[in-house]
Amino acid sequence: MYLNDVLDFIFRFMEQGGPVLWFIAALTFALWTLVFERFWYFNTSLRQDLDSAISTWEARRERKSWNARQIRRQLISQANLKINAGLPMIKTLVALAPLFGLMGTVTGMIEVFNIMAVTGGGDAKSMAGGVSKATIPTMAGMVAALSGVFANTYVTQIAERESVLLEDHLTTDH
Amino acid sequence: MKMSLIKSAVVASVLAIASSTVMAQDARSLDQLLNFVKQGQATEAKENKAREARFKNAKNRQAQLLAEAKVMRKNEEDRSARLENTFEQNELKVAEKQRQLKERLGTLTELFGHLTSTAGDLRSSFGNSLISAQYPGRDEFLDELIAKMSGAEQLPSIEEIERLWFEIQREMTESGKVVSFTAEVAKPGGEKESRTVVRVGTFNVISDEGRYLQYIAETNTLAELARQPSGAYIGWASDLAGSTSGKVPFGADPTGPSGGSFLAALINSPTIEERWHQGGNVGYAITAVGALAFLLAIWRLIVLAAMSSKVSAQLKSDKANTNNPLGRVLMVHEQNPTMDTETLELKLSEAVMKEVPKIEFGLNLLKIIAAVAPLMGLLGTVTGMIITFQAITIFGAGDPKAMAGGISGALVTTVLGLLVAIPTVLLHTVTNGQAKKVIHVLDEQSTGIIAEHTEAQLGK
Repeated sequence: MYLNDVLDFIFRFMEQGGPVLWFIAALTFALWTLVFERFWYFNTSLRQDLDSAISTWEARRERKSWNARQIRRQLISQANLKINAGLPMIKTLVALAPLFGLMGTVTGMIEVFNIMAVTGGGDAKSMAGGVSKATIPTMAGMVAALSGVFANTYVTQIAERESVLLEDHLTTDH
Repeated sequence: MKMSLIKSAVVASVLAIASSTVMAQDARSLDQLLNFVKQGQATEAKENKAREARFKNAKNRQAQLLAEAKVMRKNEEDRSARLENTFEQNELKVAEKQRQLKERLGTLTELFGHLTSTAGDLRSSFGNSLISAQYPGRDEFLDELIAKMSGAEQLPSIEEIERLWFEIQREMTESGKVVSFTAEVAKPGGEKESRTVVRVGTFNVISDEGRYLQYIAETNTLAELARQPSGAYIGWASDLAGSTSGKVPFGADPTGPSGGSFLAALINSPTIEERWHQGGNVGYAITAVGALAFLLAIWRLIVLAAMSSKVSAQLKSDKANTNNPLGRVLMVHEQNPTMDTETLELKLSEAVMKEVPKIEFGLNLLKIIAAVAPLMGLLGTVTGMIITFQAITIFGAGDPKAMAGGISGALVTTVLGLLVAIPTVLLHTVTNGQAKKVIHVLDEQSTGIIAEHTEAQLGK
């Protein structure tokens, strides 16, 4: 019963905001899916990956030759690839959200001017639909981008920290 | 008057005589001519006598006629005086009767006034009302009633007043109903067919196919809108047409009857293709750039996917294969197994440097397109605005329609720019990610792989 009301509200909101809003919703969904995937990874398999890298390193007999340093570099690089996977995409999606908002604004304005061209600007009521199609996606794009900026910063910080920590753990014998 | 008549008659007769005598006979000699003149004088004198007698007679009769006419005028003047008298008396009588009518109508006058104005208002509102499509003939009744009321001879009957009441009540009741009925529907092609239609209050009429209809008051017919609203509304309309009871979501146009101005505006709104053409040359340029970016991205994605699968195969094999970048880098070590580490590092980085441009090919172009597309859109918008404002300087800002059309056309290029930029940014990120993965392996892991190999060899 409540679910129906909520769905109804969402659909009406989407109808007011126009089709661009669906794209923003999909983008936000993808963005947060990627962010949560990262959280999931940091909290579960990251430990395993780091431990296996450290144990491979620790299992070596010597850790100061040229070979050893190159292998250390390889281990760090492989771990970094896993830690940073998906981060560029998160960044891109955050950058795209305001662009989508802008697109919604422009399509909404086109609608407003189109109605103006048909009615001669006398009918404020019919123009209001276009105005809401112009403003709602902008707001939605901003909300998606802002929430994404915080998530992105947080996830990037964790990734950097883990990568530095890994480098610190793989100690060479001088 | 009489004198001039006579004079002209005399002149005419003299001329006639002169010509007739001359024409009648030709004179052979002067004597003969003299003789003729003499004879002529004699006959003329005789004729003149007779004419004089005739004129005298006529004159006498004229006098008699004059006397008669004078008598007649006298009679008529008498009659006129009499009639005037009667007219005055009747005038008094009419005033008396009118006073009597007013007295007897009393408060009814006010009622009839209201009745007339109500009927007039109803006439105009019924003209636009969708309910008229369901109940034709209401207009004729109202027209008759109004004609009757505006003339002074007839009074409306109680039946007619009650019919007016009924019509108002029916309009009110029907405006709160969703009903289906059969009516003639004109298709956009022009052909007419009888269909079951559903009327939603006074807001909308839809056909049983789920099409929105428009009521045309002049011909009292329903016409299908040439352009229908977007998908969801059509779906709701056909749901409504198909349902018999319960609640159905429906998109009504509240802007008024006759299909609503909002729905009617749909007909004039351009399609997506028309909009694309509105973008003009800048719009076409953006589309071309977008197509280029799309093709480039797809091509690079395919190339990079093949490359990274070969690199993963190389990672698993011991032998360097030259069909992939990593293999070519490892080949440097394989060909010179006894090289010292410093030279090896230099050689490897050189080999990697050779590979990187091949892997990153086109990525910068993609990035540039992603950055340039919105700028091109902006350019198109600004040039469009310049054209619009030029039009305003020439034709003045009196016509908001022309202006608004130009502005909405100008904004199309911004949309096109964004439509190109957004997927290009995404494609660039994906392609760049793929390329970065391969480069990572080459740049940071190739030496590690070599180190592992040498250690494995030593271990044996």
